[in-house]
Amino acid sequence: MNCKLCSALFQEFLEDSLSEELIVEVQDHIRTCSKCRVSLRTYTLTVTLSRKVDPPCCVSPETLDRLKKIIRERLLKTNGVPV
Amino acid sequence: MGKKINKQADADLVRDLKQGDPAAMEEIVKRYSNKVYNLAYHLTRDAHAAEEIMQDVFLTVIAKIGTLTTEAYFSTWLYRVTTNAAYGYLRKEKKFSEQTPVEDIDQEQYLDYDWSTLPDDVLLSEESKEVLRESIDSLPEAMRTVVVLKDVEGLKNEEIAETLGISVPAVKSRLHRGRLILRQLLSEYFSKYTEPSGEEK
Ligand SMILES: [Zn+2]
Repeated sequence: MNCKLCSALFQEFLEDSLSEELIVEVQDHIRTCSKCRVSLRTYTLTVTLSRKVDPPCCVSPETLDRLKKIIRERLLKTNGVPV
Repeated sequence: MGKKINKQADADLVRDLKQGDPAAMEEIVKRYSNKVYNLAYHLTRDAHAAEEIMQDVFLTVIAKIGTLTTEAYFSTWLYRVTTNAAYGYLRKEKKFSEQTPVEDIDQEQYLDYDWSTLPDDVLLSEESKEVLRESIDSLPEAMRTVVVLKDVEGLKNEEIAETLGISVPAVKSRLHRGRLILRQLLSEYFSKYTEPSGEEK
């Protein structure tokens, strides 16, 4: 396996969707190639850190109240269900 | 298992909402308002726009819920409605494509630099989170949406493909390119922890 193919497989490697053979090939390559070893580590960590990005959070209570009011009115208008 | 129960519950809510049940709508808002808001915010980078979009999205839910034939797919459908609303806003405001041109990023520059060995308090600092957030925001729309849906919000590739109306391979390719850019931007940022700064030395 060469470096180009190896790095192209990182995504599938992380998703665990590679065939048994390819996993072994990637692992073998990484053992001997420090560039790809580092590259896989930083790629993986990039994904891990993205998961930890805090959501902008959150909808303010006022906005939520306004939304609920609008929704109640809209529901009332569309199907005449009293709320 | 837990997921299945959740899905079931969503489907029940949708069925009730189709009958015009206000309690079902209230529960849907409770369950999804932050998710819709967050996604809209990530896509528009504008808190006020995100609030407006959220409102539009839930009104669209009321108006269009009858067209959703498979109730269990509600959350995917909701993401799609949200994404479309956000795109609509961006188009209207002409805010499309003022991001880092992808070609400008030198992918080779930091490949040897292993910042994964930095201590957690550096990797997870508020500053580094802010850098990552800004980096995600700077991605071209097509990549940003996929990265946000996948790596921030945790959707599956298939769900994202469905949400955006693109193929799974297209999702994967955008995701991979987006991650490479983020990795590059993070490498640049973290490089200050190993390299002497400025002209000194
Ligand atoms: Zn290699």
